[in-house]
Amino acid sequence: MTDLWPRVEPLLAAVERPARYVDHEWGAHHDAQAAYRAALVYPDTYEVGMANQALAILYERLNGIDGVAAERAFVPWSDMIEALRASDVPLFTLESCMPLRECDLIGITLPYELTYSNVLEVLDLAGIPVRSADRSGEHPLVIGGGPCAYNPEPVAPFFDAILIGDGEDAVLEIVSAHRAALAAGLSREETLGRLAGIRGVYVPSLYDATPEGALVASPGAPERVVKRVIADLDAVRSPLCPVVPFMDVVHDRATVEVLRGCSRGCRFCQAGMVYRPTRERSADSIVRDAIAALQCTGHEEVSLTSLSTADHASLEEVLRRLSRRLEGTAVSISLPSLRVDAFSLGMARLLGGGRKAGLTFAPEAGTQRLRDVINKNVTEEELLETIDRAFRAGWRRVKLYFMIGLPTETEDDVRGIGALVGRALAAARGATPADQRGGVRVAVSVSTFVPKAHTPFQWEPQIPLEEVRRRQVVLRDAMPHKGVGLSWHDPDTSFLEGVLARGGREVADVIEAAWRAGAVFDAWSEEFDLGRWIDAMERCGIDGRALANEPRDPDRPMPWEHIDTGLSRRFLLSERDRAYAGVVTEDCTFEECTGCGVCPSLGVDIRLSGVRHG
Amino acid sequence: MADEHFRLRVAHAKSGRLRFLSHLELTRACERSVRRARLPFSVTQGFNQRIKMAFGPALPVGTASTAEYYDVWLDSYVPAEEALARLTGATPELVGPAEAAFVPLRAPSLAAALTIARYEVILEGGERAADVLESELGAVVADGTFAVEHKGKSKVFDLARTLPKEPQVRSVEGRVVVEMTTRMGEHGSLRPDALVVAAIERSRSGATVMSVTRTGLFIEDGDGFRTPI
Repeated sequence: MTDLWPRVEPLLAAVERPARYVDHEWGAHHDAQAAYRAALVYPDTYEVGMANQALAILYERLNGIDGVAAERAFVPWSDMIEALRASDVPLFTLESCMPLRECDLIGITLPYELTYSNVLEVLDLAGIPVRSADRSGEHPLVIGGGPCAYNPEPVAPFFDAILIGDGEDAVLEIVSAHRAALAAGLSREETLGRLAGIRGVYVPSLYDATPEGALVASPGAPERVVKRVIADLDAVRSPLCPVVPFMDVVHDRATVEVLRGCSRGCRFCQAGMVYRPTRERSADSIVRDAIAALQCTGHEEVSLTSLSTADHASLEEVLRRLSRRLEGTAVSISLPSLRVDAFSLGMARLLGGGRKAGLTFAPEAGTQRLRDVINKNVTEEELLETIDRAFRAGWRRVKLYFMIGLPTETEDDVRGIGALVGRALAAARGATPADQRGGVRVAVSVSTFVPKAHTPFQWEPQIPLEEVRRRQVVLRDAMPHKGVGLSWHDPDTSFLEGVLARGGREVADVIEAAWRAGAVFDAWSEEFDLGRWIDAMERCGIDGRALANEPRDPDRPMPWEHIDTGLSRRFLLSERDRAYAGVVTEDCTFEECTGCGVCPSLGVDIRLSGVRHG
Repeated sequence: MADEHFRLRVAHAKSGRLRFLSHLELTRACERSVRRARLPFSVTQGFNQRIKMAFGPALPVGTASTAEYYDVWLDSYVPAEEALARLTGATPELVGPAEAAFVPLRAPSLAAALTIARYEVILEGGERAADVLESELGAVVADGTFAVEHKGKSKVFDLARTLPKEPQVRSVEGRVVVEMTTRMGEHGSLRPDALVVAAIERSRSGATVMSVTRTGLFIEDGDGFRTPI
């Protein structure tokens, strides 16, 4: 393999933050001998990608196989992209500094729709044709996976295969099948045919779109691609010795995923639908893996992550045991966010030291009516009570998340957000001694609802850009100003997210055209330019507004219908009806089965470490 | 709190491609190697508890070193050789430790005590220029002051004070090597390559700075310089 370092090193004196490109961190895995080489790519910069737990898991899994080396690659920042292109140096992996195109496999995670242009940038920088159809046997296999794989169509032409669902076991099977295919001298087509036989692997070239938008499998390929799911999280250890970055990355800490899945059932939430069923790691395994990771990495913080950590049945026990083990070591424990309905002050106090965990609540909607529509089972009383308790206990800041544009939203609901924030602020002030009230702050973050695939709201229209702006004005006028910090998620970004989230295969042309016109780092607001995307849609004859802003007919097939998450269509439709009727649905980890279909169809079960207390 | 404390001073490198680390990145890496080495480190008191460590003067991104130092306070005694061995096994080699020794608890801080830095600047190109460069460096020094622009601000160094020794220029294997000793003041320290670049520009030799390495950090006392360990 080629070592590009002698050509990369001279570029580093002139670029920002060269620590992104130097490798040699503690825990980086070097294996010059391995015959099979995989590059794991996060389609954003080093400091964003190094926080990604999925890549850390796959890195450890793949490097555990004899004869396999997995290395990391990220998107260089713009100054380095320019430097690489100017000196004709292809994109390289960090560990061996070898060209990506010399790898056997390139795995690219798809964390967010707005990283799609970066995927093309990575392939092009690597000197690999961006479309699967233009690649041949001399190129690596390019395989995608991750959260956005649940509607793979907009990026399908760029990938040779896409993994749907949990990757822990599937990557081992993919690599094993690929090594066997290489050993047998199979052609690229034959290799892809083999991969299509692995559960959870979608090979886009084996599916054709019908005029109605459905995708039909070629003979031999499964009609529906069923997502992979790890039945028991305790069977797979959390990364014990992940790479320790030098650079200050987004989440610079050891991480243990305490549970996967969430069945709260928020009707807008894709993660809550596609990662079912809920599977908790046991307290023993969380404590053991957290301590092991801290010892191996030397991190000063450990985070217990998941979609809803406070729901974990044994969380109090875990926090108690971890605090005891970590006493006197200046290691802090953090939780990603606390749910208003599961928040307990005792729990928050267990979070070590004098540090106050950030209080983050997501009521999402301003009125109880709309919260019932979206199945966000949080009442205003609970929210105000929690704020009261927290501010009496010394908290002075709270962050509230809301969305505008949810199905059935009226102006009253929008104004309701302002009113609720006003009452939250009053509760916070009321619970704070008079001389400290000046420091009370309520941060309010408002995003635009973007309907996502495999949710009960997948048929709903997203409100158009002009309407977003109008409702923002309504909201701003209804919002108290003093003591409130209001921030918006950029509506232009949400519009594009909507097009990319529910588009079909035809949207790939738009992605390629926008990227060719200069789109890259779209998730970075200062780099994002909607104009480039609108032009691209026009040139490709794609009506973005129709894709994002018009309601879909449930009788017509969706572009992701061949992707099987285990959720039954009947469940999604029934949840949609219940939303319109304002009827809530309980969480099956607290109450009885709601019939979503996942457990029976995937042959798995909810796994709890104890009894949950709601 | 613990009655007994120990203050271990560690010398370490910043070499190879890890010369591209910033000061903050390097200090955090050192903290994490102390944790991984499982030394019985002390923890600062107060709201935000931290490992109790202190560092010497910062090095710019891209500048290597063979002589960086940090102090780490320990709650119990570990023989220095053992601490060094444990740190060596827990630190990326390119920033690995070279020496460790206990210093008195009341010794002045590294930041205050280390006032003298020695650097080696290696040039590329302009081979014929060793003697030319030497005389041009002499001319720059003879100016008495040297102004540096940094982030839109101009800083003027008094060279008589900043350069306790004359810079030395020699040729090693066809490359020009400048050895320079600087005194660091309260108002910052002179980057040795800035002075060398000024001399190169005057000499018009077309040479460029290939690498800058800090080769020594010293405490200045009465009649000379001594290392902190």
